[in-house]
Amino acid sequence: MNKFIKIDYLPRVEGEGGIAIEIKDGRITRLHFKIFEAPRFFESFLKGRSYSEAMDFTARICGICPVAYQMSSVHAIEKIFGIEIEKPIHELRRLLYCGEWIESHALHIYLLQGPDFYGIESAWASRQYMPIAKKGLGFKKLGNQIMAILGGRAVHPVSVKVGGFYKTPERKALIAILPDLERAYGESIEGIKWAAGLPFNNNAWDMEYVSLRHVDEYPINEGHAVSNKGLDKSMDRFLEGIQEYQVEYSTALHAGIKRDTSVSPYLVGPISRLNLNNDKLPLEIKNAINESGIALPIKNTQMGIIARSVEMAYAFYEAIRIIREYEKPDSPFIDFTTKAGEAIWITEAPRGMLIHRYEIDEGGHVKSCTIVPPTSQNLGHIESDIFHFLKNNLDKSAEIIKKESEKIIRSYDPCISCSVHVTYS
Amino acid sequence: MKRPRIGVFKFTSCDGCQLSIMNLEEKFLDLLELFDIAYFRETTDRPLTGHFDISIVEGSISTAWQKNDIVDIRERSRYLITIGACATAGGLQALRNWGSITDYKNYIYPSPVIINVLSTSTPISEHVYVDYELWGCPINEKAFSETLISFLIGKKPGIPIYSLCMECKRMGLPCILVSKSEPCLGPVTRAGCGALCPYFQKPCYGCFGPKEDANIESLLKQFQNMGLTQKECILLLDKMNTYAYRKAKIERS
Ligand code: SF4
Ligand code: SF4
Ligand code: SF4
Repeated sequence: MNKFIKIDYLPRVEGEGGIAIEIKDGRITRLHFKIFEAPRFFESFLKGRSYSEAMDFTARICGICPVAYQMSSVHAIEKIFGIEIEKPIHELRRLLYCGEWIESHALHIYLLQGPDFYGIESAWASRQYMPIAKKGLGFKKLGNQIMAILGGRAVHPVSVKVGGFYKTPERKALIAILPDLERAYGESIEGIKWAAGLPFNNNAWDMEYVSLRHVDEYPINEGHAVSNKGLDKSMDRFLEGIQEYQVEYSTALHAGIKRDTSVSPYLVGPISRLNLNNDKLPLEIKNAINESGIALPIKNTQMGIIARSVEMAYAFYEAIRIIREYEKPDSPFIDFTTKAGEAIWITEAPRGMLIHRYEIDEGGHVKSCTIVPPTSQNLGHIESDIFHFLKNNLDKSAEIIKKESEKIIRSYDPCISCSVHVTYS
Repeated sequence: MKRPRIGVFKFTSCDGCQLSIMNLEEKFLDLLELFDIAYFRETTDRPLTGHFDISIVEGSISTAWQKNDIVDIRERSRYLITIGACATAGGLQALRNWGSITDYKNYIYPSPVIINVLSTSTPISEHVYVDYELWGCPINEKAFSETLISFLIGKKPGIPIYSLCMECKRMGLPCILVSKSEPCLGPVTRAGCGALCPYFQKPCYGCFGPKEDANIESLLKQFQNMGLTQKECILLLDKMNTYAYRKAKIERS
């Protein structure tokens, strides 16, 4: 029997994408995750602009994870100029990023993916779900508050600068939100248990997870790239090992790891980070994972909601730690001189590794740049994931296949607005 | 009373303005009491059907299919409000209006011919009638909820049209244009952000777009006297509101 499944415009994801599946005589003959989001050509616009504009420009690639763009670009440029930022600035940037992880994860857990497990069309579609939605909005608000204190606003904050920040916050402004953060941290631990108890499909398989790894900390702004299948590369070398390629049904390029004869898809994001770095989590969160009966590594992408819940709790934990230890630094930034050069930097955006490469000329202008967002790295993996699900569920009705495929895609928290900004190089 | 039907639509954008709506947090839930969110692809599965009392549009027009879609949305809407620099001024992506689209495509895609986009990115108002425009990259969420309520009660929204400098001075911030000789776009930019950048001791880069009747030429002269080249001056305008600043500059000269 033949089946055609088509979703023109996926709801509850960021950006514009759809799906087309064709099953003929029990074989999958087409499986396309279609991206029709219009490209915006940011990399081209950056050519010839001052290094100092890169943070405000690239932030506009994504309203959900602007801090990730600012962090990958600021670190890449600092590397070119040979700037070593000091500990307090490192910590403040980590705090800013924690704010974004909280905001982005809370939005996805409670407002976008959560409704899938309750069979409702939106987070406010049922009275039963309303308290859960409210809890999510409460978490999200705190993430936004952290970003607003550090950067003026949650969407496209304005404070990040090469060498540090334009201005650093007063200790008392941060201390003021500490009680709220402490309460939210407790609730977020409960949230891990809630997420672990949701009903999941059984689409577990042997995937390749890729994330940063750092000797001292759960990776956010620093580290080197590793995978569960032997990949181990410094940030500089990572791009050499991957291949980007274009498919005709997508305005976003795909990416995979170059192997001897093929290019293999890989997964970035919360599941990868958690699977590869759970040893770096504080004991309290490790205990919450164990008590919730979560088996690591997670091998089913639909359980991304669990990984996200763990990371949100961790982001609260880190935010509290950083704020308690915070002393306003004497100067918000360090002085430097611009230099010509090239560098790659990777940071862990809420959705996974965000790679920036810049080449800067003597005058401090961008000569060329490459941006590889997490969602474009995941596109190939999303298709493999649905393929795996279909193989075991070919007998299901078109309606069920459609719903389940949609849920698989959503569980990646894909950011399609981001994904159309890969540069081919 | 029947709650007015609202539709939220996206064109070419970063989703940040839609997220600003969600960032109203509990106030967003209050809005749900007053309005029926009948279409908002980012947050609900509800399909696109029927007419809307108010349509809220994020993003610029940059593909052929978007040109058709915006006409359809206009026909379905009693009022149409644009949110953000993309929808109101073409966004950062409107920088392509000053260059060759073929070059841009070639720089990014191995097979550029299959990428179907227009050579320009333009504001919604160049395609259909717009009832109200909210500026900002992103919009200010309070201004957004105030605008919605104003439409509900049939009043004009009280969003300021004066310059950022007024807002900045009212906050008692030291002027970085005067004290540090840094090129701040405050004098020609709309108020509404709360003078965020001057607060952080950073020059305003114009994310709220040109204020009405902005004298851009005279500000750029001042920048040139401070030592900036003409090209550097134009680059200051060429950001998320490039299309609007350049137009305002030409219209006054
Ligand atoms: S105006 Fe700015 S924040 Fe709003 S959608 Fe466009 S790029 Fe994003
Ligand atoms: S700092 Fe900028 S916005 Fe503030 S008064 Fe000076 S020029 Fe105007
Ligand atoms: S000061 Fe200018 S650039 Fe900064 S947020 Fe306000 S309008 Fe935008």
